[in-house]
Order: sequence, then C-alpha cells, then structure tokens
Amino acid sequence: MRNFLYVILIITVAASSLWASEDRRRHPVYVGAKVCATCHQGKDMGHQFSRWLSSKHATAYAVLANPESKKIAELSGIPQEPQESPMCLGCHATGAHDEEWEKDLTFFTEDGVQCEKCHGPGSEYMDAEVMMDRQAAVKQGLIIPTVQDCMGCHQVKGSHVAIHKLPKLDMTKALKEIAHPTPKNWKYGTMPGLPEVPISQKDQPGYTGVLACAACHKGPGMGYQFSKWRMSGHARAYAVLATDKAYAIAKKEGIRQSPQTSPACLKCHSTAFHQPAGRALDSYSLYEGVGCEACHGAGSNYQSEAIMRDPRAAKAAGLKDVNREVCMRCHENAHNKPFDYEKAVKKIAHPIIQPEVSQEPRYKTPLNMAISPDGKELYVTCEASHTVIVVNVQKRQKVAEIPVGHHPTDITFSPDGDKAYVSNRLDDTVSVIDVSSRKVIAVIPVGDEPHGLLADASGKHLYVLNTSADSISVIDTTTLKELKRLSASRSPWSLSPSPDGSLIYVTNSLSRFVKFRMPSTSEVTVIDTNRAVVEDRIVIPAANLLQGIDWHPGGKFALITLNRTKNLVPMTRLLQGWTITNGLGIVWKDGRVDQVLLDEPNMSFPDPADLAITPDGRLALVTSSGSNRIAVVDVPKLISMLEAASPHERRKVFPNHLGKPTEFVIKHIPVEHSPRGVLITPDGKTAFAANALDDSLTVIDLDKLQAVGTVDLGGPEVITKVRFGERVFHSANITFHRQFSCHSCHPDGHVDGLTYDIEPDGIGISPVDNRTLRGILDTAPFKWEGTNPSLQRQCGPRLAVFFTRIQPFTPEELSALENYICTIPRPPNRYRPLGAELTDAQRRGKKVFERTMTNDGRLIPKQNRCVTCHFPPLYTDRLRHDIGTKQQFDRGSVFDTPHLNNIYDSAPYLHNGIAQTLEEIWTRYNPDDKHSVTNDMTKDQLNDLIEYIKTL
Amino acid sequence: MKYFIAALGILTVFWPGKTALVEAKELPGDLPAFSSASATVRKLPYVYTEWKHFTVKNGLPNDHVFALKADGPKVWVGTENGLACIDKRTGKIKSWGEKDGLPWRVISALDINTKTGELWIGLLGGGLARFSGGRFDHWHQLNSGLVNDVVYGIAIENDNVWVATTAGASRYNTLTGEWTIYTEKNAPMEEIWNYGASYDAGKVYLAIWGSGVLEFDVATENWKHYLDPDGEMEIDLYRDDGIVHVITTGISHIDGILWVATYFGMSRYDGRYWRGMYAHETGLPSDFGNAIKGRSANEGWFATDKGLGVLADFPSDTWVTYTMDPKTHRGKAIVSRNQKVLESIDMPKGIPHNYTLWVEFDGNDTWVGTSKGIGWAIGSGYYKGLKDRPVHEAGDVRTKAIE
Repeated sequence: MRNFLYVILIITVAASSLWASEDRRRHPVYVGAKVCATCHQGKDMGHQFSRWLSSKHATAYAVLANPESKKIAELSGIPQEPQESPMCLGCHATGAHDEEWEKDLTFFTEDGVQCEKCHGPGSEYMDAEVMMDRQAAVKQGLIIPTVQDCMGCHQVKGSHVAIHKLPKLDMTKALKEIAHPTPKNWKYGTMPGLPEVPISQKDQPGYTGVLACAACHKGPGMGYQFSKWRMSGHARAYAVLATDKAYAIAKKEGIRQSPQTSPACLKCHSTAFHQPAGRALDSYSLYEGVGCEACHGAGSNYQSEAIMRDPRAAKAAGLKDVNREVCMRCHENAHNKPFDYEKAVKKIAHPIIQPEVSQEPRYKTPLNMAISPDGKELYVTCEASHTVIVVNVQKRQKVAEIPVGHHPTDITFSPDGDKAYVSNRLDDTVSVIDVSSRKVIAVIPVGDEPHGLLADASGKHLYVLNTSADSISVIDTTTLKELKRLSASRSPWSLSPSPDGSLIYVTNSLSRFVKFRMPSTSEVTVIDTNRAVVEDRIVIPAANLLQGIDWHPGGKFALITLNRTKNLVPMTRLLQGWTITNGLGIVWKDGRVDQVLLDEPNMSFPDPADLAITPDGRLALVTSSGSNRIAVVDVPKLISMLEAASPHERRKVFPNHLGKPTEFVIKHIPVEHSPRGVLITPDGKTAFAANALDDSLTVIDLDKLQAVGTVDLGGPEVITKVRFGERVFHSANITFHRQFSCHSCHPDGHVDGLTYDIEPDGIGISPVDNRTLRGILDTAPFKWEGTNPSLQRQCGPRLAVFFTRIQPFTPEELSALENYICTIPRPPNRYRPLGAELTDAQRRGKKVFERTMTNDGRLIPKQNRCVTCHFPPLYTDRLRHDIGTKQQFDRGSVFDTPHLNNIYDSAPYLHNGIAQTLEEIWTRYNPDDKHSVTNDMTKDQLNDLIEYIKTL
Repeated sequence: MKYFIAALGILTVFWPGKTALVEAKELPGDLPAFSSASATVRKLPYVYTEWKHFTVKNGLPNDHVFALKADGPKVWVGTENGLACIDKRTGKIKSWGEKDGLPWRVISALDINTKTGELWIGLLGGGLARFSGGRFDHWHQLNSGLVNDVVYGIAIENDNVWVATTAGASRYNTLTGEWTIYTEKNAPMEEIWNYGASYDAGKVYLAIWGSGVLEFDVATENWKHYLDPDGEMEIDLYRDDGIVHVITTGISHIDGILWVATYFGMSRYDGRYWRGMYAHETGLPSDFGNAIKGRSANEGWFATDKGLGVLADFPSDTWVTYTMDPKTHRGKAIVSRNQKVLESIDMPKGIPHNYTLWVEFDGNDTWVGTSKGIGWAIGSGYYKGLKDRPVHEAGDVRTKAIE
C-alpha cells in the first residue's frame, strides 16, 4: 500500500509539474474590458470599470474619427485613415500591434485604451483566484504600470500640439483623473442583472448591443456613426450612475440601492431597461448605457446587412424612427435639467454623409518624363497627384491625365509605343498604360520602392529598379510576370541603354557599404541585355548619389550625375567651400571612369538630378534641383579636356577642380522650382525639364539654348505652407555658396547612407549616422545626442551653425520647412502589410522582443528589455541611454533611442553607422549586454528577432 | 577511427558477399563480346582518354581543389587558397584572393544561380559569398543570419540559397533577406554537421555527417529522413536496406535517382530500392567517398581518396575506374563489370591525383578536382550507357593526352 501511495505521489507531482510547464507556455490573449468589468465594478470595487468608461481612455479610438485626427495624420505623413493606422491605433487602442488570434471574441478595438492596454493581456491573470494574490497575478502577466509606461503614449507629440494646441500633459493631474483605487475592504462586484422579460414579450426582438451595430456603422463611409455615439453622453449614461452626483440624486429620489442596480435609474441610463424587449443577446451589455437600440429599437431582427440595406424591410423588422417624443421620454424634466431638443439632436447627429471638409490643394509634382517613340506625346509622372500627365509636344499643352498608383516616379515606353510603364514608388508596383486608350490595363508587383525603369531594345524585358530593395526586377513584358531579380548596389536609381542596346547602365544613389570612416565607393551596375544578367559593376570612387544617366550616341561612354560628399571632415568647413561638391561622371564602355565638377567657385551646382544628351552627342543638359538651373555641357569640349590631360590630372585633380567647369559648361539656363527629369526630343531641337515644385515643364530651344516656354500641368495656384516648406527643403539657397540643400543629404526625405562628421571638434570626432526624415514628427528629441528638442531648433540655429554657415532660415521658412518635413510619408511596411498576420519566424521574434527572462531563466531587468525602450507605436521611449556603443571618437556615451519603424530601409545602424546590418548591432556591438540582454540568445533566436523588428 | 576502419576491413574480408556477386552476374550487363576483323568488340561504356591538367603551374591559386562549377565557356574553381576561373576557349586562368576582395581564402563549395548568373561561394570558415559582376558580397555569422561560418556545401533552390554548415543548414531568401536555420530543433537532424547540399526537382537534399540524408520538400516544407536502417555503424548488416552509412559526405539527385557518398561506401536510391556499393565488389577505388555527382539515373561519379569511380551503366553494373600511377603519373582507366575487368587503358594523362575531391559535368566533358589540381576530361564522342565498340588494346593510338 505504501508503495502504491508513493507511485500515486510521483504521478501527481509529475503531472502537476507537467501542468505547470504547460501553463508557463500559454500565451496571454486580450479578453476585453467587459471581462474585467465582471469583477471590477460596483461600489465595493470603487466603480473601477465605470471610472474607466467615463474616462478619455474609453473614447480614445472614437476620437480618431474627428477631423482633427485626420489633420494630425496628414501632418505626420500617415497615409491611412487614423482608425486604420497602426501608428494611431498604437496609442488610441489596445493590442493594435498584436495579431487577431491574440484577441478573444470578447475583445473590441473600439473600446479604445482599456484596462489591458496598461495592465497587459488578461487571459492568464483574470481568474478571480489569481487576482486575489497580486504576486501571483503579476507572475501570470499582470502589469503594474509606471509613469514611464504612460509616457510611451503621453510624451509631447509635435503633431498633436500643432493641431490641438494642448500644453504638456500634467501627469500628476492626469493620473488623478484616471485613478481607480481599490477600496480597502474591497469585494468583487457582481454582474448587474437585466430586466425580467415577461413571457408575453419573449417573441419580441432582442437587444444585440452597440458593437453589433458598429460592425457596419463605422468608418468614413458610414459617417463614423459608432464613434460619434461613443463620444456622446449616451455612451456614458450607465457609467455616470457610479458618480457621487448620481448617488446624491438617487438618495434624493428615495432610492437606497446603487443607482447602477436601480431599475428606476437604469430606465433612462441603459438600453435594456429603457424599453422592454424579447431578450438580450450575449453581445449586449448594460455597460453601453444608452446605445443605438435605446432609440432605434431592439435590433436582433433588423441587424443583418441585407435587411438594413432595405429601409422598408428594416422598418418592418423593428427599426424605429427617432423623433422628439422618443427623446423626451427620458429628457423631459430629467433631474430638473433644462433640455433643448433641437440643440441636443444637433449634438448627437450622426448622418452618414459627412459635411465636406476643405482639402489641402493637391499638387502634381512632376518628376520624370518619357516621349512616345513617334515623338508626339510626352508622358510625365506626377508624384503628388498619383497621375501621369500627357503633353502634346507640338502644342506644348497638357491633353490628358491618367490616374496610376501612388507616387509615380519614372516612366518608359515599350519600343513599339503601344504601352507605357510607370513605377509607383509607394505601392511597389508598375502600372501598365495602354497608350491608345490611356488607361491602366495591368499592375505588376515588383520590389520595394521602384524608381527607374526601362524596356530593352527588343521590348521583351522590362527592367525595374527597386530602390529600397537594392535590386532590379526583370519583367517578361508578354506575361507581365517577374522573371528574376538581379542584385544592384545600394538604391538603384536610373538606367540608360547603350546605343546598340546590348548593355544597360544603372546608377546607384547610395554608396556601397564601406569600412568605418572610409570614403564612399559607388557603383554603376552594367546589365548584359542578351542574357539579362549583371555583367559588370563599375566602381565610382569617392562619389555618392549617382542619379541621372544617359549614354552618348557614339557608344563610347555614358554620363552620370554625382555628388562628392566629404562626410569624413567636419561639415563646418563649408565656409572654406568644397564640402559637398556636385558633378558628372564619365563612365567609359571599357570600365574607366572620369569625374569632373559642375560647381564653380562661388557658384555651386547643387543636387544634379538628371541629364540628357542631344542625339548628335554635342550637348548634355543637366538639371540642378537645388538651384533651379540647367547646365549645358559641351560634350566634345569635355572629352577633349579629358583626353588632353595626364592620368594624374584625370584621377586626382579634375574630380575636385572647381575651375574646370568653365571649360565645358557653356551656359546655365534658369528654370522653375526644383527641376528633376530632363528630356530631349528625338529631333534634338527641344528639351523639356520637369519642374517638380512648380507643376510645370520648362521648354528649352536647343538652338538658342534658352527657355522658350512653359507647360502648365494644372497644379493649384496657391502655395500652401507645406508646399513652401517643400521648396525650402529642396533649395540650396540657404547654404554657403549654395552648395547643397536639405535634399542633398536626405534625398526624397530619406537617407544618403553616410556617417557624417559635423561639428568643428576635430576631424573624425563624434561621427553620426544620417537618419531618415520619414515619419519623424513625433520622435523628438532630435540629433543622436538628443539635444535638440524640436525640429525648429534642429533645422534652425543648429543647421545654420553647423551646416549652412549663413543666416538661418527666416521664421516663416523654418515653420514651413518643419511642416513639410513632418508630412514626408513613411512607406507601408513591406514585411508586415496592414492587418497581416505575423509569419512563424516573426511571431517567435516578437516573443524574443518582449521576453522578460533569458534562456537560462534569469530575469532580464525591465530597463534592459527590448520593448522597454522600443515600445509601440513609434518603438522609441524618446530618451537617451548608454547602450555600450561609445567608441574611441565619441564625446559622450548616451544616445537618443531611435524609432524602429521601417528600420530595415535605413542601414547602417547605431549612432555612428558602424553596424552595417541589424545582426551586427548585437553580434558585434553588444558585448556587455547593455543594449538589451542578447548574448544568451541562439542564432535562430536572433534571426527571429530581426525578422520581427523588420515588421515594426 | 582507425580501429573502426580496421574492424570494417576485417568484416569486409569475411563478409558473405557471394550472394551479391551472383546477383550482379545475373544482371543483363554481362553482355556477350564478339570479334570484328581488327579487334574484340564489346558493349562498353565511354572512357575518357583525353585529359588536360590545371595546377598552380598553369595559374591556379592552389592545387587543392575543393569545388568546381561549369558556367558556359567558363569553369569556376574553388581552392584552398582562392577562387579561379578557367576560360575553356583560351585555357587562361583568372584568379581572386583576399587581396582582390575574396572575403575568405578557403573555398569549399560553388553554385550558380542560372537565372541571375551569380556565383555563390561557400567559404570554409568564412561563411558565404556572392560574386556578381566582379563584386564580392559577404555573409557570415556576425553580419547575417548564417548559422555558422564553416561552410561545406551550397545549393541554389529557386530564389533561395541553401548553405550546409558545421552547425546546421541555413536557407537565405535572396528576395526578402530572410534567413532560416535548420538544426535538430526544427528538422530531423540527429547530428547538425551538414556536409553537402543539392537541389533538384522541388527538393533540397542535405548530406549530414552522422545523420544520413535529409530531403526537404520546398512546396510542403516537410522533411524526409534517410538513414541506415540497420543502425550499425561498423557493418552494413542488411544489404540494400537504406543508405550504407549515416556518415554521408555527398549527395546528388538527378532523374529521380538519389546518389549518396559516405566514408564507408556509396548508395543509389530510385525511390523504392536502395543499392549499396562497396569497393570490394564494384569498380569503386575506395569506400571513402569525398563527393558524388550523378550524371543521369544510370551514371554516377564518385570522387574517393584513391581515385575516381564511375558507375557508367547501372543496369549492367559496368564501372570505369580512373586512377593515376603515383610513380609514372600516367593515367589508368579500368572498365569492369561484376568485378571482371573488361578493359584496361593506359593513358599518358588521367586524373591528376588519386585523392579526388569534386566532379563537375560540362556537356560531354567532365572536370575533376583533386588534391593536385584539376583534371579536364574531354568527352569527344561521349555516349551514355553502353555501346558496341572495340576493346582498347595496350598502346592503343587513340589514347592520347592534350598538352
């Protein structure tokens, strides 16, 4: 018997430990506020649930329907509806970054910021027994939030301040406002009962609850009806019964019980007690106060979409019209409060069609052009209007506008002229336009941020440069399917075919990765069109931002535009000139490279963006988007100059010689704001320049070498503050000798991939990685050292002192610039499209990101967990930390916590750009586990972590 | 290890192999010979008699050749000290070392993405590299998700690169940049020392030192595990019950046939039946297989430590064994069937060294990597299987070497 007992004991212990280990593996899920409410309600629990219901947290989701929220989103470069944006929902809802399977059926995003936003998903700690023991509950995942946790969402956000003009949140006051202390002698609350339904009523329609209505009655298409209700007093009607005032009124009325359980109070403060109904469905809850059905009648019979789409059927199924009488039943003389029916109805009005809100003017922003093979029509990609504008070349008039994808960037025709292909940079697609019907007939998915594209001479293959994926998609133009993806260098930009069509040269905007504090090394990628493979990679030393390209018709060389950025010496030497120089590369067919400048002493040629060579090979036109000019290069003179020079001069002198351009630049032609693409007609007589920030094309007579006209592309005449800021951003007028603009280091608001030495503290001291401006608004402070509290400071005095070295922007310019920078959109995340589930690896990575224990069971201190400093939605706590990355040349050891959104597209990493890949952040530069505890991780865990980080 | 090999030798000597021999004799390969007017004519396989050697003298960076990959007119060579490329048209060799941008000097594996033309390079101790348009890109365990830098094998599967390493296999998605690691945690790997990788017809095959062969179905992402079912490390207890040994060193799949090399014999699997092959009963020069390359369902080439064994015609069990005479450095090819020598050909040149490490097919030609350079076997008139032809006689004028 004793042995038997031992066996039983062993089995019991084994089973319980197995159970325990199983239990540990359970993944917590969100259960929803109503589940918390089952206990956390009633006087004995301090009416905690009702306090939340009456708080602003409960309407956090609903307020995203307000026009102000849309303005904030627009100002922050968020292209989605706020109620569908992970960035907005990250602070205005609970579990926004979690997957659907992590949310129970009782959970609703519409509840806004509910209990679990601060206390963690509740499935594992919600059990009443567990919650009795604070320690046990914490062990099961209950979070006791700190002020720091609140600050994750409540730090000052420029976007919100700009619209709401709110002062900095007084946290003490705010905490008082949402305080929900548990009374000393607490007792779990009990669910309030619903009214008894007489048998005679049982066959009547039942209450479905407001969230059943919300399934359809939300979003802009339905006038945000649910959100409007949620922000109304009706939604708080039940909750207010928990207030002292409600108790006082009840007492006055002779009601002894809690108002929340008093049918007399609930008659007007809830739906179910208001009108008798057949039943209440599980989806109905008393907590919703006066819901839709209180006025419109119990909805179980009319709630289906099919019935609701037919007004007569809906009426027949019980949908009631609401009139004065309905309202007056409760509001007439209620607690002696005066009631103005007309005013009240206006207040709770929820029409489907919204009053029109005046929209910001929609500009065109023409970037690049292609001319039809017959030379009759010019197709112009317009980034801001998401269209391609067709211009009649002879008449110089806009004749059509074709909607395409988002941010159309470049365009090319098929050799037969039947089709035009357009790269849509924001959508990662190519639109195929049927030229005869001027309609998009197909959309081809390609890689990240397609830029330049070109059909080869045979028309068989279309080459698309995936700028953010460093690759080149090769598309079969018959099947419109991607055949393969070639490896480019970094940020492939534009491409040009050799005159015999056998080769395509591709410019790459960013330098290859180079060793720390080494000069740039850029690449022209050479494609063999016969085999559609990369044949060669021509190295362009000490240059970056290779963008425009055109082959000389003689077939011996191609010309490219380039910058020569001296990022290794302090930017302040700008005063001596020669910090960012701008020029041309001559890329010979045999792989040799020459470089010359287009800058002249006291007159730089900032941001050379594109070039085109005349059919006779005599002239090359180069646009300077930073100075609104076109340089006319006499190509034979340029080549003669090179051929007459010694190898030493060509290699060492000419690339930096400001005196040489006068020998081959024969004219500068002024054009309008920010010229980007330039194109020469096949007859060689006319050139067109796309003035991106003027919504026009400048027409240049190539015999006279002067602008002879403008094609108006139909943009708005008014220049908004943001547009003005965009012009400021792209203009080099602010820098000494007009050497560069903001755009030079932040091409299209992103990064140039370089690490800069900025301040005059010695050569090489405090090198800093260039950071993206995409989605930057709410990530203050700025600068890696985190010393600039606002963009105005960053772009104002700091810019003038360290970068531009002349008078700072005027207040008007600075304010406009800030506005523009904030609107630079962050492209949708490529690793987790909106609403997509995580992959297995990403899911595992999320667990690592949020882990609290090491692999060997040690507790990771809270301040040393990934998610503590990088929490959603911006994935930064906006504070400075020492993560052990201080290097020999750094002045300090604490650095600003970068946001992690779309982190995959802004390598290199860490404050000095020393980590070329995400992996290196931890494999090389976290030896002491100061940048989160990671050294216990296995290689597959690190891979998973990185897969997850890429989804943020 | 030496005791193990000695025990294996003893067992081999006393092993009742008679049955297998008898069975082999009954194969239709034991074909009749007839005489023509000038010579005896038999059904015989093609024998490579024209050889050209490439060594450091010709410009190879190193004579220890671990990998070869034919690419049109070029043959890429991975050596112990650099990468080389032989231009077949000119015979010229171009090479790259660390000073030229090669990220690591020891190259253990090569493969080409036929779509993009990119050469992928396995670096023994240095991770993975890509050579494209003259640029080397480098992935290793510090800058990427590669599981380990000791790389033995590479296989291109669609847009993915499989890397066999000493600590598991990695799969790199070249489109998304995602790295997936396969080890004992998520694959039926009893050991994680991956020795070889190969891709064919929707499946990736991994040769694992101590864990047999793993087959990964790309469509379903399911694994299949091939082991030696008798579980014996020292003896092959039951003939043809699975791979001959779990210490596999090379893998090749072609025409539905899986060819496997181990350090203790070779295997062929047709999806239903296994066939084990040993030196003592076939034309294999040794059981110590360094590499295997299947040319078709019926032709497999085994690189061993004692020469090159070619199963030239599986149905008839006809072998060609290529060796080099260490004293004269002349080449020798022996054609045998069921242990019976049908033909012995003496050649001025054959394989450059008996320690063979790699085999690569290039149309009718074959390239053999050895510890003393490369042998280029020129396959003028190459034919598959068997053909009636005269038996080579000693001193046959047709046996020549290309200088």
